Amino acid sequence: MKTPSGFEDSKTTEAPILKNNQINLLIRGIGVSGGVSIGQAVVIERITTDISPRRIIKPEEVSPEIERFTDAVREAADRLKNIKQGINDDHPLSEHRYILDTQIMLLQDRMFFEGTKTAIATEFQNAEWAISDVITEITAAFDTIEDEYLRERARDIYFVGERVLKILMGVHSESKIHQLPPNSIVVSHDLSPADTVQIEKGTVIGFAVDMGGKTSHTAIMARSLKIPAITGLDRISRLVQTGDTVIVDGSTGVVIINPDPDTIFRFRERQEVYRNYHQSLLAFGRLPAVTSDGVRSVRITANIELLDEVEIAISHGSEGIGLFRTEYLFMGRKEPPDEEEQYEAYRQVLSRNNPNPVTIRTLDVGGDKIAYNLNLAHEANPALGLRAIRLCLSRRDFFKTQLRAILRAAVHGYCRLLLPMISCISEIHLAKEVLEESKDELAAEGKEFVREIQVGILVEVPSAVAIADMLAKEVDFFSIGTNDLIQYALAIDRVNEHVNYLYDTLHPAVLRLIRQVTNVGQAGGVNVSMCGEMAGDPVNIPILLGLGLDELSMNALSIPMVKKLIRSVRMDECQDLTHQVFQMQGAQEIRTLIEKWIRERFPRDYFVGHT
Amino acid sequence: MNTQREKLEKALIVNSQQGLHARIATLLVQAMQKFSCEVTVVKDGVEVNARSVLGLLLLAATTGTEILVRAQGPDSTKAIEEFSRLIEHEDTKRI
Repeated sequence: MKTPSGFEDSKTTEAPILKNNQINLLIRGIGVSGGVSIGQAVVIERITTDISPRRIIKPEEVSPEIERFTDAVREAADRLKNIKQGINDDHPLSEHRYILDTQIMLLQDRMFFEGTKTAIATEFQNAEWAISDVITEITAAFDTIEDEYLRERARDIYFVGERVLKILMGVHSESKIHQLPPNSIVVSHDLSPADTVQIEKGTVIGFAVDMGGKTSHTAIMARSLKIPAITGLDRISRLVQTGDTVIVDGSTGVVIINPDPDTIFRFRERQEVYRNYHQSLLAFGRLPAVTSDGVRSVRITANIELLDEVEIAISHGSEGIGLFRTEYLFMGRKEPPDEEEQYEAYRQVLSRNNPNPVTIRTLDVGGDKIAYNLNLAHEANPALGLRAIRLCLSRRDFFKTQLRAILRAAVHGYCRLLLPMISCISEIHLAKEVLEESKDELAAEGKEFVREIQVGILVEVPSAVAIADMLAKEVDFFSIGTNDLIQYALAIDRVNEHVNYLYDTLHPAVLRLIRQVTNVGQAGGVNVSMCGEMAGDPVNIPILLGLGLDELSMNALSIPMVKKLIRSVRMDECQDLTHQVFQMQGAQEIRTLIEKWIRERFPRDYFVGHT
Repeated sequence: MNTQREKLEKALIVNSQQGLHARIATLLVQAMQKFSCEVTVVKDGVEVNARSVLGLLLLAATTGTEILVRAQGPDSTKAIEEFSRLIEHEDTKRI
């Protein structure tokens, strides 16, 4: 589940380092740079400057305190200049060297430099206190920026302030990031731009970081160096100790701590696939996903969140967007985006993919994830609470703004509307009612929009599977959202390390649920697609082909490999395998059979799934 | 030639692919430091010092936004020319 109370509990009680005696501990984050690395963790500790000394100074102390501050700034600038000189022109990150210029300039920026001096002189704060206040003020101003990349730059000024604070507090440690042993996987709570720019290719082979998103410096640098990186891991820096063996799979966003020999073996194979086949795989991306006997053709699309990801999706061979998660537009801001802003975002994705379809999912979060003043009651169990379509139907004005933006943007491409978390038929009726109202309004206002938009539902609640035949009469397509469907069906929170060993895409119950949906789809002439990680993991592909899915939407980086696999198998053999699998009782047994089946056919490619 | 009192202005469209990002802001500040005139940038009524990276970033000038560069002082014509050149021709990758 998304935010179960059990997880919250474990989060607050785990403060002492969780002993790393657990084998194959799997943590999921956001894969921001693809590839697989297996190496030794080096935990880069960030000495916290959050608790800086605070005191009121006497008027006569003001000028010495200002001098103390300006000296520290000068020293910070000198150190940054030193770091910059250490990165020569043939350094793989030399093109990013100027980030150090930016940092130096931020040190001297009037908002920071003059702002701190003023606080010392007029508020009689000591330098550390003044710096903390000024930095807090500046980062708060950045928080209101809508553009994710620009908003993330708040971290840059934060690191500049931290650097000066460390000097003032006598914490003279540069991180040793530039002198690590070979095969290091850098694990950290957060990395400053000055840290990441010093990474030596060849020694650092991967990143696993608690904080950050797709536009953090760690992400940008890692893509530049072509080494795998995962951000947003939340607590990896507390779970891992220097020296632990760690696997980082940047394509799926999975980190495995203390893998057993068997897991290492499987990931070595996966790594080989990346190393040797990456280029040739990219060529597969450009080909259609048709089985080798020409019997079955599947549309392969990408899941995206940010506009930037459209280019990666297209270059990896996506034939449209199977899941455009719109939450990103709504999160981390004070006011929801207005119709124009949403329209512009949808229009860009649609026109860039035209004539391929773009499936836009309406807002799929709970009130706990968006900070607007919706006056929602606190929920003990938000994963089962007022979220997604339920939230939208309770706040129709909110929902209507998004629907209007989608209907208008649909003029610019092939747009499909996807409603998340549908659990009963009346939700579809109500959503359609709001949709029709939106159309009527747009028509009355004389706005250009698409009336005949395709409407589908995300099948992710088990009740929707049970009544799929009824729902099929109401919609144009189904998209199976496996991540949530599996969690809800198996009652497993996959981020809870105590139970996530039970999470398995090949659980017979999961396969039966999927078959139930595809059967209904085929009987009722409703297209069935699948989004969610299951669709992008090669081990599931023969079965998904056998079950007759029409479209598979996945992380863009998985597309070439999935296409290659589909192009290499015959439909009859997939159906035979599927038939066999449905006779079996345990997930592990099923997995072993499929992996053997794949190995026999592709001894060189090893399309082996992760964990 | 303009006198020190005269305020010059020029409207510009941010056309770099990813807006007025950190790299361009850094280049702009470096360039403006060569001049002695006062230079500011205005977007939606908010005016910031053109020699402040933070100020420029906080304008949140994404692609396609109109900004106004203002300069007052002895070399203001040249400062505006240089500023426009960077905005119009420098399309570096963001970082």
